Amino acid sequence: MARRGSPARLIVALSVAAVLAVFLVYTSLAGGTPSIQPGQLAGHTGKVSLVGKVVGKPSGDAHAGGLHFRLSDRNGAASVPVVYKGSVPDLFKTGREVVVDGTLRGGVFVAVPNTLVTKCPSKYTPKK
Amino acid sequence: MPDLGRAALVTSFLLLVYAVVGGSYAAWRGRRRLAESAQNALVAAFGATVVAAIVLLAALARHDFSFRYVAEHTSRELPLGYSLTAFWGGQEGSLLLWLLVLCGYSAAAVLTARRAGREVIAWVVPTLGLVGTFFALLLVFVASPLATQVAPADGAGLNPSLQNPYMAVHPPLLYLGYVGLTVPFAFAMGALLARRTDERWIVATRRWTLAAWAFLGVGQLLGAHWAYVEIGWGGYYAWDPVENAALMPWLAATAFLHSVMIQEKRGMLKVWNVLLVVLAFCLSLFGTFLTRSGIIQSIHSFTQSSIGPWFLGFICVITAGALTLVFLRLPLLRSKTRLESLVSREATFLYNNLLLVALALTILWGVVYPLLSEAVTGTAATVSKPYYNFFLHSFGLPLLLLMGIGPLVAWRRASLRALGRTFLWPLAAAVVAGAVLLAAGAGSSRIGVIAYTFSVFVLASIVLEFARGTSARRALGGVGWGGAFSSLVARNRRRYGGYIVHAAVVLLAIGVAGSSAYQTVREKRLHPGNSMTVAGNRLVFRGFESRLEGNHRAIRALVDVYRGSDYLGRYRPGKNQYFAEDQISNEVSIRHDLLTGGDLFLIADQVNADGSVDLKALQKPLVNLLWLAGFVFVGGALIALWPDAREERRLAERYEGAAVRA
Repeated sequence: MARRGSPARLIVALSVAAVLAVFLVYTSLAGGTPSIQPGQLAGHTGKVSLVGKVVGKPSGDAHAGGLHFRLSDRNGAASVPVVYKGSVPDLFKTGREVVVDGTLRGGVFVAVPNTLVTKCPSKYTPKK
Repeated sequence: MPDLGRAALVTSFLLLVYAVVGGSYAAWRGRRRLAESAQNALVAAFGATVVAAIVLLAALARHDFSFRYVAEHTSRELPLGYSLTAFWGGQEGSLLLWLLVLCGYSAAAVLTARRAGREVIAWVVPTLGLVGTFFALLLVFVASPLATQVAPADGAGLNPSLQNPYMAVHPPLLYLGYVGLTVPFAFAMGALLARRTDERWIVATRRWTLAAWAFLGVGQLLGAHWAYVEIGWGGYYAWDPVENAALMPWLAATAFLHSVMIQEKRGMLKVWNVLLVVLAFCLSLFGTFLTRSGIIQSIHSFTQSSIGPWFLGFICVITAGALTLVFLRLPLLRSKTRLESLVSREATFLYNNLLLVALALTILWGVVYPLLSEAVTGTAATVSKPYYNFFLHSFGLPLLLLMGIGPLVAWRRASLRALGRTFLWPLAAAVVAGAVLLAAGAGSSRIGVIAYTFSVFVLASIVLEFARGTSARRALGGVGWGGAFSSLVARNRRRYGGYIVHAAVVLLAIGVAGSSAYQTVREKRLHPGNSMTVAGNRLVFRGFESRLEGNHRAIRALVDVYRGSDYLGRYRPGKNQYFAEDQISNEVSIRHDLLTGGDLFLIADQVNADGSVDLKALQKPLVNLLWLAGFVFVGGALIALWPDAREERRLAERYEGAAVRA
């Protein structure tokens, strides 16, 4: 099989190497954001993506001093106060599951502005 | 009625099992009559599935709440149109739609794609039957859309966000795309099983692949438009797993559509093509799995349902089976020819393929990253927009450039001198465009300038190709420019249809770059009489108006828009408050500027008790080119798909000859 030196193989090999290199450079620069629930917050000092259920009544103004609310684990065990500024999704309300990026500072989860998303009520569950 | 439907589903299941068992035995032993009967079973399964679908549609139309599915997804006051579209509003109905579309495609493909050869078709029938059996099995034993119960007084209703005209077309189009990818997959497997590894299976399924790919593309664009005008955050694509689920198979199918041309012309890349079609099909199954299993966090949350593991198992079986088959047939898949030069049409197609597959795989990596990181580190981590954008730029921009280079490079081997000549005009156009853009201040976004310069290069090379072809045809004599142009396109539908699709992709790139890299966003709290400025538009807030409309209260902020001293009109972004659902929905207001292709996008982000509004205004330049691209895309795809008697004759002669020689 005198296939050595085929340009096709060269292209494939070089491209794969290039793609891998690009990929490695990227992933070494920035990994993903940890996605956790309030109960797991202790020990995370960097930016995380917090998944939780809104408990209690939200208060404050998301476009002025900040919207204050608490997020709890899905099972309701641990919870953390959150302060958030920016657009509030239509579906945001007590009892909804939301995802928001931010960092824990002095016991309060300070959210990155405009990162709050609510999960749509499922297309595949009947209304309870 | 429900018994009729369930009986039809069971019949369909049994027919499909027969198509698999009888079909494979017939193909293995070369029993022609048995093979025909298996093929008939496949066609009959379509008929049975149609009956089941009609039963469900009738139940939906009559609000027959003794059907559990009907009770869970519709209600008495739901209009007839949305009651019917609730067919695919839930899981069981969606699965039935999968099976229906699959059986339809299967029947049509085995009846029309005879060119693949009898031996290949004999194996295609059991392969299609196998995929169908899986879905029929789920519908009969795991998730029946025709399960009955004691009818409640009223149904639960359809999620308000699905009560939208887009709901009638977006999901079915995506399904036509997803499911359509089964056809080339089954023919590839059929060709391998029958040891007929020439390009016939590709030629026979070309239109099916193209149609599935076009449906998938249009379906996604419609979804983007739905998100843009209805969801109202000012964007159209958010790299959500569910959106990515549709994008990945489309990218793989795009790579496949290009690489098969190399196999047809030069007999190369046989292994690659088979692997691509397996990848595209598995990604489409994976997409369906993603949206059904709830395994990945998504804004579209889907319930953890019992069918997730079934899908995972099926994907594993299909992948393992297909890869084993490819491995066993490797000796038959050797290319007779090889790539002669790094500067040739084949080579540019190869580059294009590698980039498309790399893009699809990096997106896949991002989608499954939470699962992988949880398995490795114990904590799930997600990647977000910057990750995807990085790879879109790294792989997408070179792809855009290649779209301009590819058509200008000759097959086999291109001389540098010839290249210089053909590249002169597109290159000059791109340089001029780049200079003009920089002078006009577009340098604020480097990516934007690169994207636009490349776009101009591609458009110039497409125009050049059309111009050259037309003038060559005119030189043959007897026709004017118009006649030469239309006969050029009519005689090479696939090629020029393809160029038109390329133009659509360029429009899409221009629209995406314009509306993301050059958009302006302003937010401000306004009291009545206050104003704000965004990209030269002055917005004056005049106060609220509130109306009671049936099932909701509509609150609208009245915003007068001025440019200089010109009054451009009054716009009404606001919110609807639905009483029964206890849900608020954002109602954006968009001012389209058809002359510049840009939109002024107004969102009443927060309605305050003191009579003020937090207004968010986005100026999105050129965003309308995205939707224009959709029409151009459909046009190009239709041209490439249109039946061509001349091509049919040419192919018939070619394969008659081959049959005689063999």
